[in-house]
Amino acid sequence: MATLNNPSLFDRLRQTRLGQLAFPETEDERETRRIAALSLPFFALALFGAFIPLLTMFRLSVAEEFLRQISGWTLAPYRTLFASIAAFLPGIGTELSRWISASGEPVNPVYGRTIWNSLWFGAVTTVTSVGLGIAIAHGLEKYDLPRQDLLVTLISFPISLPGIVAAFMMIVLFGQTGLLTNFVAVLTGADPVTLQLTGQPSGTTLAILGLFFGYLYSMIPRATLLLRGTYAEVNTDAEEAARALGATPLQTFWYVTLPQIQPGIVGALILTFRTALAIFGTVLVLKSLSVVTFRFDQLVQVGYELNIASALATLFFFFTLAFTFAGLRFTSAEVGR
Amino acid sequence: MSTPGSDGQASISGTIPDRDPSWLGRVSARFGRKVLTGLIGLTVVFLIGPVLITFVASFFQNWTGIVPSGGLTLRNWELALGIAESQGAQRGLGGFWTFVAPDVLYVLELPEVPRLTFRFPFDVTIQTPIPVALGFSILLALFGVFVNLIAGVPIAYAVTRYEFTGRRLLNTFAILPIVPGIILGIAFLKTYPNLPSTLALVLGYSLLKIPYMVLAVQSSFESMDLRRIEESARSLGASWPTTFLRVIIPEAKQGIISGSIICWTLAAAEFNFSYIIYSRGPRPFSLFLFENISNNPFLRAAAAISIYFLIVATVTTLLNRLGENGFSIGGTQ
Repeated sequence: MATLNNPSLFDRLRQTRLGQLAFPETEDERETRRIAALSLPFFALALFGAFIPLLTMFRLSVAEEFLRQISGWTLAPYRTLFASIAAFLPGIGTELSRWISASGEPVNPVYGRTIWNSLWFGAVTTVTSVGLGIAIAHGLEKYDLPRQDLLVTLISFPISLPGIVAAFMMIVLFGQTGLLTNFVAVLTGADPVTLQLTGQPSGTTLAILGLFFGYLYSMIPRATLLLRGTYAEVNTDAEEAARALGATPLQTFWYVTLPQIQPGIVGALILTFRTALAIFGTVLVLKSLSVVTFRFDQLVQVGYELNIASALATLFFFFTLAFTFAGLRFTSAEVGR
Repeated sequence: MSTPGSDGQASISGTIPDRDPSWLGRVSARFGRKVLTGLIGLTVVFLIGPVLITFVASFFQNWTGIVPSGGLTLRNWELALGIAESQGAQRGLGGFWTFVAPDVLYVLELPEVPRLTFRFPFDVTIQTPIPVALGFSILLALFGVFVNLIAGVPIAYAVTRYEFTGRRLLNTFAILPIVPGIILGIAFLKTYPNLPSTLALVLGYSLLKIPYMVLAVQSSFESMDLRRIEESARSLGASWPTTFLRVIIPEAKQGIISGSIICWTLAAAEFNFSYIIYSRGPRPFSLFLFENISNNPFLRAAAAISIYFLIVATVTTLLNRLGENGFSIGGTQ
């Protein structure tokens, strides 16, 4: 090669950071090259699998034309979206939305409602499943339960099931022919149709309760396993000391264990909430509540409003990203290690 | 991160607990253990009960009332597997798979360059006993695992073995599923419009499931004294690539195998992304499940889902043989 015949050029090339990476001289530089080589396949996957598609999605969300070729720039999808969200807010809503959609973008408060549904329903299911997760992880860690490994295997089993199967499990339990529905129907003498939690009109209390159990089915295993990791690092000496000094189990938990697992709980809340927001298959089958992921389906499959879908997806993505990193910053949770 | 060493302090600086336990304390001391044990039992029943019911019910003729009835039958399974044809209803798993080698593998179109067509030179037709949807998903998931191995094992080693700037951030990105499946699906729609569904699915599966691979492999690496192993091998004359490929990787095989099994299973049943992305060609298995759940009679859907349960049960047994507790390593997603 020409560069090799010209030592001064080659030396200069080697002075650059890239040159040092390619032709290392010291052991330190060789280690840097190893790290770079080890990370390369991952970066390639992240580039083609995530960065390029996400950038295209951001671009699409501000494009004027997208059906044939992505071209032009406009903020209309975002204005529609924010105006629609604003229209959902009580009180100042109408005025705010009129101010945002100054150039007359269509306003549809359904976006505000779906986002609100995603948030409150996600929060309720997250708190419930993390609460249960703490109790289960506590029991698994502190009590000498028989067949402990089998219990963990069984509890983690639903992680392998996609959301649509979780929904079917709810139909098995709470549907019109469901086991529990019919059991309660026989006990109370009521008609199963009035008791079933699935197949009810969207948004009714019974339907939402069915979806609530469907979410829990996917979220309890994840929350439990996250908290099991936290419990494994608890200093048991302090707990034993507290018990020996006369604290009740509840006091020991409250004053000794809880402060230790607090960062883990915050981490579990963050990650479980992320899971809750991203659940799609369960909602698609049960159709009980219009959440954001369900809205995506309508936008893409029914209306092919890809620009609005992309804008909504962009908001969704940055919200979860910011929320996760902000959360991990305030905890020393396992996952941020 | 903020206050790593102060956890002990927090427990001391709180208010001083009462010497005499309150009624709540007494009740909890007395019944706490029973309540928690009962709760664990109830949760396991809630999670596993419907799985067993579905499996058992799939062998019955009908189900009205509390328990299935009408005698045992294999009809549901035959319909779901596509062995028996039913009038009007769609074919189960799409019949059995005939492998026909494609004429045109891929057409590469780049601006300013004449288009490149990759052709498959032979005519190959193979009859297989594998149901189409299942076989297709199994293959796609295998390709996904292959990509995960190539990308996941090295990055797990880099962040476990070496110290460098940005290591923590890289680790977070490698083990956190940053993009939810449905968002990635929407992002893929316009990015790779000419990419065949198959390739898009493999790329998506690889990205979505790589955290599981990294986590599993990392837990193996963490139990090894990587620095010592690497230095011994190097001092005995092995080059660094040889050390990595022939000493480190074989040593971490437990994590690598469990990671592969977990990634494979999760990719084979991936729904959210496949649902948005799928346009034509053989249907992924999860879409087959979805159509069964939304369109077919209850017990036939039960049989279709039971096919997947059998796969997961097999995989779980394998994982437990390897020393894992089922899918528990995937718990951090």
